[in-house]
Amino acid sequence: MSLLDGHPDAFLIKVALLVGGGLLVGAVALRWALAAAGAAKLRRGVSLAFKSLWLHKLRSFLSVLGIIIGTSSVIALMAFGEGSMQDALDDIKRQGATNIIVRSVKPPDDSATSARNFVTAYGLTKRDLDRFRTFGDVVVRTVPLRVFPTEARVAERLVNARVIGTTPEYADIHKFATAGGRFLAETDDRDRKNVCVLGAEAADKLFPFEDPLGRVVQMRGFDFTVVGVLRERMGTGGTGGSQAAEEYNRDIYIPLATTVARFGKIIYVRASGSRMAEQVEYTQVTLTVDAEVDTEEGRERVKAVGGAVEAVLRAEHGPKRDWAVVIPLDKLEEAERAKRRFLTLMAMIASISLLVGGIGIMNIMLATVTERTREIGIRRALGAKQKDIVAQFLIEAVVQTTVGGLCGVVMGLGAVFAVPAAWSAMLDGGWFTGIPLPAKVHVPIVFISLGFSVAVGVLFGLYPAWRASRLDPIEALRHD
Amino acid sequence: MPPIVRVENLVKNYYMGTQTVHVLKGLNLAFDEGDFVALMGPSGSGKSTLLNVLGCLDKPTGGSYYLGEMNVARMTDDQLSEVRSTYLGFIFQSYNLLPQYTVVENVELPLLYQGIALDERTKRRCVDLAEMVGLGDRLDHRPLQLSGGQQQRVAIARSLVNDPHLILGDEPTGNLDTKTSVEIMQMLRTLNRSGKTIIMVTHENDIAAWARRVVRLRDGRVESDTRNDARSVVEMGL
Repeated sequence: MSLLDGHPDAFLIKVALLVGGGLLVGAVALRWALAAAGAAKLRRGVSLAFKSLWLHKLRSFLSVLGIIIGTSSVIALMAFGEGSMQDALDDIKRQGATNIIVRSVKPPDDSATSARNFVTAYGLTKRDLDRFRTFGDVVVRTVPLRVFPTEARVAERLVNARVIGTTPEYADIHKFATAGGRFLAETDDRDRKNVCVLGAEAADKLFPFEDPLGRVVQMRGFDFTVVGVLRERMGTGGTGGSQAAEEYNRDIYIPLATTVARFGKIIYVRASGSRMAEQVEYTQVTLTVDAEVDTEEGRERVKAVGGAVEAVLRAEHGPKRDWAVVIPLDKLEEAERAKRRFLTLMAMIASISLLVGGIGIMNIMLATVTERTREIGIRRALGAKQKDIVAQFLIEAVVQTTVGGLCGVVMGLGAVFAVPAAWSAMLDGGWFTGIPLPAKVHVPIVFISLGFSVAVGVLFGLYPAWRASRLDPIEALRHD
Repeated sequence: MPPIVRVENLVKNYYMGTQTVHVLKGLNLAFDEGDFVALMGPSGSGKSTLLNVLGCLDKPTGGSYYLGEMNVARMTDDQLSEVRSTYLGFIFQSYNLLPQYTVVENVELPLLYQGIALDERTKRRCVDLAEMVGLGDRLDHRPLQLSGGQQQRVAIARSLVNDPHLILGDEPTGNLDTKTSVEIMQMLRTLNRSGKTIIMVTHENDIAAWARRVVRLRDGRVESDTRNDARSVVEMGL
């Protein structure tokens, strides 16, 4: 099994192997039971099984209900689970799983140095950035940015925006599209132009009635010409560590060089009556590693670069912990682990429900054997061997669970397609508020659960079938 | 010609807890091919047990049972099943048809366990047999749609489908009225005259009178073994 370790579907593969094993045992049992029979006898057995199940439609339906519910719920729940897990994975991939995000972190007030300066200086420096740029080709781009909480004003309209000074490559990292105009360009930065790109919501607030392109936004006393507007962007969830949830739609982007030229090196923050000033050269630096996230080798490379970044920072900053390294890949792997755990849990619940279904089948089969004792006696008297009786009841059980499993698959797939559609319709109708329910059918699960229900039929049919075959023909014939 | 059925010193005991019930106490009997035998005797005499042993449904405790050349007494369960399927036909008091099957399917049933392919030819044979017993117009009826006499005729057709060496009847007319009983017995006699060996259990003298030979049992032993002469049959006006 160690071969499978690390494979994303390792658990499912193991389950599939188990089910396969169960089916093999069943096949051997059937083969034994049919001994010298051949396909004709099997076909006949199956048609007889259908006939006697059809004779007791309601009972057959009730006895396979457990299997139907088990199979359909496995498929549906797995699909919904897979769908929402996929959402989380996509969320992380949006942040760029090959990125390494380095942030400036305000260190805790250090009373020992008693440096009660009005201006706190901390964080990433130009030196750090230059060191990062020596990593070479393995890093595709290194994008620094500075963040200023600032009021942006157009005539009497005021928005509390987040101004982000950055370079044009920022757009490549986040793969976002403009709704109009362009993103920042190389020349903007070089010439320290007073241009800005508005996030969707900022544009909407500042220019509710007109096209913002070419208009002027005032920030900290400077006029900035709008050169582009971004499409609405999905925020990132704030899971774990130092990475908070982020909302990008109110951001205003200006060239990095411009921030230094116009706003200076000091960021002033007014917070509840007190004024704070911080000197931060770069709020954040994002490095993109040249790697494929879906390969083991690529992941190793991202982690190696992450380690190198930390080493640089440790060397440069010494004991001062005014930085933090966030590797989205870690979160991706965490999410993948969570997904695997979730799948395991679902599979366990599913096995329990199918087990319960199997016990239901066994229960009915035992009752059927008692009820059909006389039939068994007649068949024995007319020349049926014990094997024939085993085969008859085993086939009946397997036919039941197979039909049940098929019904379950149909119902489960139906639920996977119908429930999200109905849910979306209800959301659109304003019945509820919430997020859409994503669903993604996990194809191996469909086959595994079907195989599982067939295996359940074999497993739980064997005992009643064996009991039936051991009946004494004379006693059985006398039975009413 | 050697007898088709021969039992020697046949013993059958049942064990009930610590008690042993001796049902058959050393029977010696032989039946010729083409015979028509009635086994009679009060309840507890062992006649049903003897029929079960002859029918390979039960194994004797001791002694031997030769069916033709085979010593059936020493056979395994599977072998006994094969003997039943190949050489024996059964007719029961309560018909014992499968309610979910049609007339033709019931007749076909023993062939299912012979390991031969069921095809148009075997189906034809079943239909022929059903027609022979007078149910040609009810081939697709189910047992519950038939009268007792008709059901027993289906059972007779079923007992013939594997062309058995020996037909065993367990009170075949026990559930039928006199008129229908006569019809059934006529049918059995016809079969016997065409060469089939028949052994049946009955406790009615009227029915036993149809047989060529009457064996009476009492307490697990043969009490009497007589041949019906032709006259008694004539006396019955048949």
